[in-house]
This record gives sequence, structure tokens and C-alpha cells, in this order.
Amino acid sequence: MNKQSLVYTVIFTFIVSFVFVTLLALANDGTKERVQLNQELNRQRAILNALNIDYNGPQDVQDKFQNVEQIERDGVTLYRTTVDGETIYAKEFTGSGLWGLIRGYLAVTANMDRTIGIEILSHNETPGLGGRIDEPWFKQQLRNEKIVDGTIRVDGAGDGDTNHDNGQIDAITGASRTSDAMRTILSRELSTFQQILGGNS
Amino acid sequence: MSSPGQILKENLWTNNPIFMQVLGICSALAVTNLLTNTMIMTIGVTFVTAMSNLTVSLLKGLIPRKVRMIVQTLIIAFYVIIVDILLRAYLPDISRALGPYVGLIITNCIIMGRAEAFAQSNPPLISMWDGATSGFGYMAVLLVIAFFRELLGFGTLFGIQVLPDAFVPWTIMVTAPSAFFFLGIIIWIGKSIMNREGAPA
Repeated sequence: MNKQSLVYTVIFTFIVSFVFVTLLALANDGTKERVQLNQELNRQRAILNALNIDYNGPQDVQDKFQNVEQIERDGVTLYRTTVDGETIYAKEFTGSGLWGLIRGYLAVTANMDRTIGIEILSHNETPGLGGRIDEPWFKQQLRNEKIVDGTIRVDGAGDGDTNHDNGQIDAITGASRTSDAMRTILSRELSTFQQILGGNS
Repeated sequence: MSSPGQILKENLWTNNPIFMQVLGICSALAVTNLLTNTMIMTIGVTFVTAMSNLTVSLLKGLIPRKVRMIVQTLIIAFYVIIVDILLRAYLPDISRALGPYVGLIITNCIIMGRAEAFAQSNPPLISMWDGATSGFGYMAVLLVIAFFRELLGFGTLFGIQVLPDAFVPWTIMVTAPSAFFFLGIIIWIGKSIMNREGAPA
């Protein structure tokens, strides 16, 4: 058969595409459950981090997550758990950063006097600048930070604010727009928490 | 036909894809700020170059000339998506860190270049070897760049702190421009050594 003919070319292209795409579909299907498991694990891990619950390894994440209750309040999904007799809540947040969406979880106490912590699930901020919101020193600032006048200020710039009673955290040097985004996210999320948990304190 | 040893020397040194052919530059800039990511990315590229060269060489007698490059792209895309699926299923953290760059391996000119320049006119096994060694040449240069970028940008190597805390990280090393500087320096050093050896540059 003439390999340069139109018929051969069409048949060859069809068969080659069919074979390769079928193999890909099989590979995708074979790993689908695993990928979903990974995503679910990642989500649970982020929620536990925000709630300041320690864990060792994937199995422990699933075990500890059993104690986290998922509830609906005013159309918002909240994650509730009790640590040392204190009820705490976590909530997913999304907000626009400099380059794209910032997604994560923020946790507060039931009476809204302190944040428990924050975890970033995904972001597209500039590596080394705005991307530092995902670094421990930044997130650590929101561990047990006092909420003053219903919000937490993102102000100044430095190596991280270690005073957890002043209702303020350090912004990131060289990343004003990302810091602005975090400020907006924090004040919006805290006021949403206030509305939902307000009558419950 | 070239011997395996000669191909190794050519792809690693005298005809290195990065600093002699100046191919695959986009990924050399994008994924070299952390050694771990660079390592995984270049292993991925090496696997794809080797396997696509092997496949193209096996099928070359059957491929009509008109659709030659489209079929090569299809084969390359197939292996890249396989790598992506494997990373998502078994190394989810790395998969998240590399983000869209894994998919972009498809557009890496080295792979297409080797398929067209070598696999299209050579037997399967030696083509596979050519692909693998091209990948090694790419890997070697990228690891050198990543070594300096991670060291100076984060003070770490493979995520392990090696520089004292007093060291102030150079933010520019984390962002893409620093890779331009290092790439330029590496091309300069490489070409200078070659000129001294009297090899035609």
C-alpha cells in the first residue's frame, strides 16, 4: 500500500490516535481512585493544620479527621471540633490574590476572640515574594492571634509578628498586593464568621 | 552511525541541548529554583525523550511523511500525560509544586528535536539511548543552575538548611531572571572551555 496516499494517512492517524488515547484513558481510570484519595487527604490535612491539630502520616490524618464535624450554617459549610473543651470552627475561604485565586482554610474560636490558624490550599502568588504566604513564619502569625475590633490588621513588614495579643500580623516585604489580598480575605472571613457564630457566643 | 559512547559525549558536552543547541530554555528558567522539583522534572523529561525516541523510531517505517511531526507530537504528549498521571497518583506534593510545568514538557524543543533529528533516521535502541543521554545533558545543566539558585535563594539544598540563619536569602534567585544570569554564565564557561580545547564552537 502506498504510505503517502491520503487513505493510508487518514487510517494510520486514526489508529495511532485511537491506540494512544485508549492507553491514556486506561491509565487515568486506573489511578482515579488514588488521585481522589490524595486530594481528599490534602483537604483534610489543610483543615487539621488550620485547626492546629497535630498528626503523623496519612492514616493519622484520617483518624483525627473523624473528630471534625462538618456542619451547614446559613448556607456555609463549617468544620467544628472540640479541643481541650473549647469549640473551634474552620471554614474554607477563597479570595483573589495578585495573579490568581488564593484558597485555604481559616479557623477561629467559637466566641470569636482568637483565630486558631490558617492554611493555604493553593495560590499562584510570585514565588519568594507573595508566595511566602504559604511559609510557616507567615501562617504561624495567625496561631491564637487575638481578634481586635472584629478583625486582624495586616500591617508593617518584617520577620513575622510574634505578639499574639495585638490583633496584628506582619505583611510581606515586596508583596504589597498579596498582603492587601490577605488583609481583604481576613477581614471578610472574620466578618462572615461573626455573622454565623455571632448569636452563638 | 555513531557509537553509544560518542552519543553520550555529544549529548552531555559537545552538543549539549542546553548550552550548545540552546533548546528547552523555558523550563530551564521555570523549574530551577528548587533542586527537588528540578530533579523530578528532568527525570520526567529524560523518560519522555527516551521513550518517545524509541516509539518514533519503531513506528518510523509506518508514519506517512505528511503527518510525521503531528504523530511525533502525539507520541510525546502521550508519554508526558503518563508522567503527569503517575505524579498525581504517587507523588501528589511534587505534582502540586510543578503545577502546569509537567504538561509543558510537551512543548520542550529538545524532545521534538531529538525525535526529528535522530529517531526518525536511526534504529530503536540507539534512538532510545540518544533520547536518554539528551535528557541527562539537560538534567546536568539544570541541576547546576538549581544548586546555586536554591542555595542563594533559600539557603537550602534539597530542602535541607545548609547556610546559617544569619544568611539573608537573595530574593532574585527565587524568581526567573536569576536563571537567565546563571544560564548565560554556564554557556559562557562551557563555550570558553570548548574553544580552548580547539573544538569547533
